[in-house]
Amino acid sequence: MNFCFAIFRQLGRNLKQTWTAQLMTLITVSLSVLIFSFFYLIYCNMLTAGGRLDNDLRLLVYLEEEPGPEMREQLIRKINDFEKVEQVIFISPEEALARFETQLGDNSDLLADMPHDFLPPSMEITPLKNLRSLHQISLLADYLDSLPGATKVQYGREWVERFYTFTRLLSIIVILSGVLLVLTATLMVSYTIRLTILGREDEIEVLKLVGATNGYIRTPFLLEGVLQGFMGSALGLGALYLLFQWTLTHFAGPSILAIFSLTFIPMPVLGIIIGTAMTLLGIASHVSMRRSLRI
Amino acid sequence: MTETMPATPETMIDMIKVSKRYPPNVTALTDVSLSVPKGELLFLTGMSGAGKTTLLKLIANMERPTSGLVEVSGRNIHKLKGKKLALQRRKIGMAYQDFKLLTEQTVAQNIAIAMEVAYRSPQNIRVAVRDLLGQLDLSDKHNSLTGDLSRGEQQRVALARAVANDPELLLIDEPTGNLDTTTTVRVMDLLRRHHLAGATLIIATHDQSIYQGSQHRTLEMTKGHLSILHEGARA
Ligand SMILES: Nc1ncnc2c1ncn2[C@@H]1O[C@H](COP(=O)(O)OP(=O)(O)OP(=O)(O)O)[C@@H](O)[C@H]1O
Ligand SMILES: [Mg+2]
Repeated sequence: MNFCFAIFRQLGRNLKQTWTAQLMTLITVSLSVLIFSFFYLIYCNMLTAGGRLDNDLRLLVYLEEEPGPEMREQLIRKINDFEKVEQVIFISPEEALARFETQLGDNSDLLADMPHDFLPPSMEITPLKNLRSLHQISLLADYLDSLPGATKVQYGREWVERFYTFTRLLSIIVILSGVLLVLTATLMVSYTIRLTILGREDEIEVLKLVGATNGYIRTPFLLEGVLQGFMGSALGLGALYLLFQWTLTHFAGPSILAIFSLTFIPMPVLGIIIGTAMTLLGIASHVSMRRSLRI
Repeated sequence: MTETMPATPETMIDMIKVSKRYPPNVTALTDVSLSVPKGELLFLTGMSGAGKTTLLKLIANMERPTSGLVEVSGRNIHKLKGKKLALQRRKIGMAYQDFKLLTEQTVAQNIAIAMEVAYRSPQNIRVAVRDLLGQLDLSDKHNSLTGDLSRGEQQRVALARAVANDPELLLIDEPTGNLDTTTTVRVMDLLRRHHLAGATLIIATHDQSIYQGSQHRTLEMTKGHLSILHEGARA
């Protein structure tokens, strides 16, 4: 009981004595956490969006002419021989037009003057759920392209590829910013702890002489790091949450963001980030202490 | 001397053939042997540079002997580490010749520090600090910065910190060097009270007025050698 009291009194004195450095550290730690969690948040949402995109993935094969029933059977068999697929739907020029009209919505009158068969016939192939890698999809697309009567295969390849590249890039950024976070935060904390220790060498010597245990001298410094980790990450994540809410309210409604249906970082991950920051900075202060505090 | 005592008093300090050399080649102590029973009040005198402070520092475990054995309460203190060492130090109160006070902290904080590390409760500490300051005639300096005090006042603060935990062993280095007669009497009264309460005391001093005519054992250091100046009426 008195031990805890003594430790917290000492911690309070440390913080008071070097509060400018402490504040700088706190800001640095929260900024690092903010940057890291910002990219992480985007990455998470990209992944969810990507999952949805995968579910919606269809390959559209444009055909020279509308196949008869027999030809349809043949095509379905050939495709399934090459690669089992979920389903194959044949779309006549009229159906294509109807789809286009619904897509256009209010502007559908633009199509009023067009001939009913100005769109080519096509078939829409939904790949199996397990066929997800870009490579497999493009193999299937190549095969479909080589089918007799096929003129063109479309699946938003460019888009899908860009999306995957972007996600991969983002994962690298997440890792890099994570490394940056670890480096800056630990450096700053080690630095302030060093500063505190150097500013108090006399007192630490006296403490040792009057019989302070190592725990009595060290624990406040350790707590200082842990506290910085907790406050810094909580502040950083709090700022990110505010930013997130602000984005939601200002960009809600019909915009590109709407298709993503954004979600915040889930609770357990928040806990992990805070916990990691606390452990990490605790270790950082411990190491820095070992170096500058000869006991 | 081979005296047979009915009951051998417990030994507080045992030093056997202790030598201390400072780098590069200053010999501060040469083959010093000393045994101090629990509860003794012992004076240590000698010329400047004779090795008095060094002797006290060895007992307080602030310096390590170059050779020889130093035991306090039957334990080789230079083998103690970590928590055991900390506990041992709490049982020893030392008033340093150079005070070792924290000049940027108040008088009260300087005295409290010794009690804080022993985890005494805050109220308890507050009361004890006021009491000590009263005994040493420093009540009005409670909140003064220690660096602003006169040498004599700082000396008394150092003394107050040393006795704050009622340690069983008190090592007092020059307690009255900067004090007038009245204050000297005050300081000696405080030390005597601790002695009467059972503490073992070693007082290093140049001040003849303190030890002359006393019935306590008085030792003299001469260039690192220890000799008996006055045997005293050992209790
Ligand atoms: N840390 C040190 N490094 C080197 N030499 C030292 C050190 N401390 C003390 N000495 C030397 O050891 C010898 C004994 O010093 P000590 O301080 O024990 O003397 P003292 O009897 O306390 O003197 P005084 O009465 O002036 O306080 C002196 O020659 C001193 O110069
Ligand atoms: Mg001395």
